[in-house]
Amino acid sequence: MNLLELVSISKYFGNVTALDDVSTHVEAGKVTCVLGDNGAGKSTFIKILSGVHQQSKGDYILEGTPVRFESPRDARAAGIATVYQDLAMAPLMSVWRNFFLGSEPGTLGRFDHEFAKATAKAEMKKMGIDVRDIDQPVGTLSGGERQSVAIARAVYFGAKVLILDEPTSALGVRQSGVVLRYIRAAAERGLGVIFITHNPHHAYPVGDRFLLLNRGRSMGDFAKSDIALDELTSLMAGGAELQALQHELGSR
Amino acid sequence: MTDDVSRAGAAGAADERITFRGPLQRTLISPEIGALIGTVMVWALFWATSEKFSTAATSASWLDGAAPLGIMSVAVALLMIGGEFDLSAGVITGTTGILVGLMAQKFMGDGATMWLVVPVAFAAAALIGWLNGTFVNKTGLPSFIVTLATFFVLRGANLVFSKRMVDKVLVENIDEVRDFEPFRKVFASTHVLEPFGARDLLLILGGLIGITLVVVGVLEQSLVRREKAHAPALGIFILGLAAAVVGIVLLHSTDGVGINVILGVVILGGATIATLGLARWRYETATMSGMWWCPAATKAFAGGIAATVLAWLITRFLDKSQTRVLLSIPPHAVKVIIGILAAAGGGAFVAHSGLRRIRDRVGVTRRSPMTYPLLVLAALAGGLTTLIAVLTFLQLCTEQGFRSAVQVGLGAVGILGLLAAKGAARRHSRRAQLLIGAIAAVVVLWNGFLIRHDAGSERFRTGFLTTMAIIAAIVLGNALLEATMVKRGAPEPAADRRGRNIVFAGIAVAALGVAIRLTWSGAPMRVSIVWWFGVTMIAAYVLARTRWGNWIFAVGGNKDAARAVGVPVDRTKVGLFMMVSLVGCLVGLLTALRYTSVAASQGVGEEFEYIIAAVVGGCLLTGGYGSVIGASFGAMIAAMLATGIPGARWNTDNKYIFLGAVLFLAVLVNQKVRKKAQEAR
Repeated sequence: MNLLELVSISKYFGNVTALDDVSTHVEAGKVTCVLGDNGAGKSTFIKILSGVHQQSKGDYILEGTPVRFESPRDARAAGIATVYQDLAMAPLMSVWRNFFLGSEPGTLGRFDHEFAKATAKAEMKKMGIDVRDIDQPVGTLSGGERQSVAIARAVYFGAKVLILDEPTSALGVRQSGVVLRYIRAAAERGLGVIFITHNPHHAYPVGDRFLLLNRGRSMGDFAKSDIALDELTSLMAGGAELQALQHELGSR
Repeated sequence: MTDDVSRAGAAGAADERITFRGPLQRTLISPEIGALIGTVMVWALFWATSEKFSTAATSASWLDGAAPLGIMSVAVALLMIGGEFDLSAGVITGTTGILVGLMAQKFMGDGATMWLVVPVAFAAAALIGWLNGTFVNKTGLPSFIVTLATFFVLRGANLVFSKRMVDKVLVENIDEVRDFEPFRKVFASTHVLEPFGARDLLLILGGLIGITLVVVGVLEQSLVRREKAHAPALGIFILGLAAAVVGIVLLHSTDGVGINVILGVVILGGATIATLGLARWRYETATMSGMWWCPAATKAFAGGIAATVLAWLITRFLDKSQTRVLLSIPPHAVKVIIGILAAAGGGAFVAHSGLRRIRDRVGVTRRSPMTYPLLVLAALAGGLTTLIAVLTFLQLCTEQGFRSAVQVGLGAVGILGLLAAKGAARRHSRRAQLLIGAIAAVVVLWNGFLIRHDAGSERFRTGFLTTMAIIAAIVLGNALLEATMVKRGAPEPAADRRGRNIVFAGIAVAALGVAIRLTWSGAPMRVSIVWWFGVTMIAAYVLARTRWGNWIFAVGGNKDAARAVGVPVDRTKVGLFMMVSLVGCLVGLLTALRYTSVAASQGVGEEFEYIIAAVVGGCLLTGGYGSVIGASFGAMIAAMLATGIPGARWNTDNKYIFLGAVLFLAVLVNQKVRKKAQEAR
């Protein structure tokens, strides 16, 4: 059964069509990649998924029942966790304080330090993340490590669907590889992952399904078996446009 | 050295990517450390220079001044950590005081009972705080502007209402209102507890136990445990401790100078031996290895020794009682040479840096014809400026002043150089490290004797020498420990926690000793000090141990992130503003009931002192980082300056210069420390 399914989603802002008739789905333990260039509608797509915006048309189906989230809080309560590019962390606070921010364990307002430190460390370890020192400020972590903290946090707090907004866009090659491994690890723990990126080389190795967006329209929703990496790349860059560009640059 | 590494590796599953941070380095990361060091230094300064400063009466007096400042600083620190300012925090102490005074005297003609007035004042404060917070949230304006507006409104209201109701800008005779007594007891009582005989003994006992626990705790955090305790060393520990205790007891019953010195040596020697014994008993020893000298340390060592010798030579040639300015001292040729050298040096420096800048900008090859005249002009300007600076210095500085500056400044440079040399040697050779450490200890003592020899006041002579002797003992003990023991290279959670708890227990015991000595001293202790302690403890607990504390950090550190993970950002901020206003009302009551009158200008201008105390205490101006305990220390520094400067018969106006300097220094130290701590990864 599909964990989350979008059927013919459209979104209009006044007379601007941001998304038009887009469908895809994600299964538990699988990774659906949403690919698109700048302005393709990726961020509108995320905002609908995470409850910031509501779709103008179409169905948003979570575990078989249609839902409509009025706020990000609703979406989060339903198990949809979004890890934004800016990661929602306070750089001067320690890893464990950030990990439990907003959902601190303990009774009567008390924040149980021992539990928080031990749990944060253990949860990160489960994801295969070895944070050097749980007490160090998040600001001293590298970009990939920060992503990993955010992912581990979402997993720990019972997310069913994990939405990742361009987690690799600001990272170097090695760091990106590390984050891709965490994405796979999250899927292996039974989450449905929606991975938004503009880089097909990052999407292809981890993805099970690929939704391509261009100027608000779906250019196809493929299972991995239906598409190869070079097809994905050329489709994403707008096929003909890229060839024209190659021609233009090649003729110099 | 190789067995060090293998042992350290066996001690815990070390992560090779972490440079292990020792207990001292870890302490340095905490935000309040700058303020703590500052408090101790300012206290020591006044203690050494003034006979009266450390007496219970003076302590009671500066604590009395520190209490209202400290309470407000704690509240303002919480708000600053939450990323906002409150410029109305000072004036609200006056507003609530005036409100209480006027209502109690004039409400419905003949005044209301305090049982009504005080809750109304708190409610009004809460409302003002709520307005501040809500305005900041709704308008998105900087809190600096919003609360500046509140500040002016309240300041005006204070004047208008006190003038209209009592025709003065002073609300007086608050003690004559109805039901004053129970509130005076809670907010403004004074307690004089008669001295009892054992209080000195308790102080010494508390100090001894405290210091022992701190040493034990630090050792536990930095050394590697032995598998089997080394029993004979325990005997050494007990012997050393016994010597120190006997020395202290005897010191208190003798008066002769000679015997005092001997006993001082016995105490410090005993303490050092006890520390070493303890270390050997419980922890792994290392074999002394390496050469007796280490080339890496040579430069710093030579510099340190040179500075020490130079300081001694210069002080020998200058007269300590001469107050004439340096410029008037013959021979004149020397001064001319100094002037020429200084001018040449300054000119060359400016010209050189100018040349470099030109090179950076246009490249060496493309020199415009204007370059050289410009360089000459720069050199002239630089030379002239330096010359004027030097002449001004010579004109302003007295022989006496220059002498003590050289003595203290160069003396400190010498000691720091030797300590740096010791640090450089540590990596290479235990022997060289020990040798340099021992020399450094001797130089510390030597400087102590030099300054003691010069000092006029008897108080300063003994006080200073004692301090230096203690520092020398610490330096020597540290060198011995580092040379003979195996240092831990990896964290060991259980031992670290145990060590930390022992250190905290030690500090608590020592503080208890001091508190008992101060409280039962016959000096008038104000109840506001208890309020201060209470507010600080509650705020520290809330900040560190509750989820609201976590929210405050997050709201100040990254508001959007906090909102994204479900922290009620707006409510947290409004709560913080209300907390500041409510605490302001508390301070207003403490002041109004204590002095039984409130001026309309009460608290105006103090909001910056709160902010200074919070910043000195380690709060970042940008929010998201800081400490309320540090803010309390910051308030202590300000209060000590206010009391200590007139006490030491210095010009009182210096207070502000000192406050500014302390602020600047504390911020620098905090910044440096934080950077250093965060680099350790």
